[in-house]
Amino acid sequence: MDDRDAPTSGTERRIGRALIAITYLSVALLVVGVGLMLGAGISPVSGGPGLDLATIGSELAALDPAAFLWLGLLAVIAAPISRVLLAAIAYARTDDWQMVAVAVAILAIIAVGVATAGAGTV
Amino acid sequence: MIVGLLMLGGGAAAGVFGSLLGLGGGVLIVPLLTLGFGLPLREAVGVSLVSVIMTSSVAAGVYLERHVANLRLGMTLELFTALGALAGGSIAFLLDERLISLLFAGLLGYVAFTMARARPAAQLEASELDVAPTSDDPARTTLLDRLSGEEYRIRNLGRGVVGAIGAGVASALLGIGGGIVKVPLMHLAMGVPLRVATATSNLMIGITAAASTVIYVMHGGVDPYVAGPTAIGVFIGATAGSRLGHRVDLRLLRMLFVIVLAYTAVQMLLRAVG
Repeated sequence: MDDRDAPTSGTERRIGRALIAITYLSVALLVVGVGLMLGAGISPVSGGPGLDLATIGSELAALDPAAFLWLGLLAVIAAPISRVLLAAIAYARTDDWQMVAVAVAILAIIAVGVATAGAGTV
Repeated sequence: MIVGLLMLGGGAAAGVFGSLLGLGGGVLIVPLLTLGFGLPLREAVGVSLVSVIMTSSVAAGVYLERHVANLRLGMTLELFTALGALAGGSIAFLLDERLISLLFAGLLGYVAFTMARARPAAQLEASELDVAPTSDDPARTTLLDRLSGEEYRIRNLGRGVVGAIGAGVASALLGIGGGIVKVPLMHLAMGVPLRVATATSNLMIGITAAASTVIYVMHGGVDPYVAGPTAIGVFIGATAGSRLGHRVDLRLLRMLFVIVLAYTAVQMLLRAVG
């Protein structure tokens, strides 16, 4: 262990809290979405709409259940990615460039996955 | 209404087990949605991946706050699980699904057998828990030091890297978090205490599943009406599981793990021959 481990426990605590906060936000959005879905008498197995980022804003304003559900699901997906990003920033502040490189490489791999999926090659 | 509540309840059960055992819960959610609610397998896998991330985030957040998870080790191995997931996603459509199921059933059976026979960490000799690195390379020694915890020392990092790539491939092929591979890998091969291995696995699962989930979303493989109630259930279950984790007896945790592995192996075998 070296002196760079000293600030890590506090950093991990903060990252853990941020992870929990994002997760609670996503759950809140999902609860609203499920409440609206059940209130509208929509069955979960009736087949939901796909994600459309262009219309999600207006659908949220119209209290469309699917829009709240999609926003919640996107927040779920963003949580671990945000955790890696926060870890990279925290490690950079302690000059732990080895761990910064690891975090950046993880994010780069995810970006490659998204790009290849977007290009229809996966 | 009833279907939605049943999905929520099933997600909660999967969340408790997933959190306690370091699994993403995917091995429980996919059969629940396909056998219980008649969903197509691809759709079930997409929803399962969302739930896997939820389990990981809830449990990892609590474990990080309590300083149980090893963030450095988790992120280092995550790099290789992510690489494996990328490779697995590329070959997923080239292999016969029955062959994959058969291979995985064998792997699960082997891991369950090995875990059932393994001695608890407390019974290991001190020399086994604090093995000096075999390499004279100072850089490798420093890396092992920095990845190790305060009360344990990492060994066999190379084996861990290879296993992590395999876990990533398995995750991408089968739509699971890969904790069933990562926990025994860290615990048995790398000398990480089971509780830390479980917590660190929970941390790693989120990133592995996130990349796959984005692909499923972009291909229309995630139904928000199914994913919503299931993910909320998983959140409730995973929250309860992560707060129970430090109170659960390690022998009970190990026994539960072996039972889940054995059950999943049988399901995989049935899928392969059926």
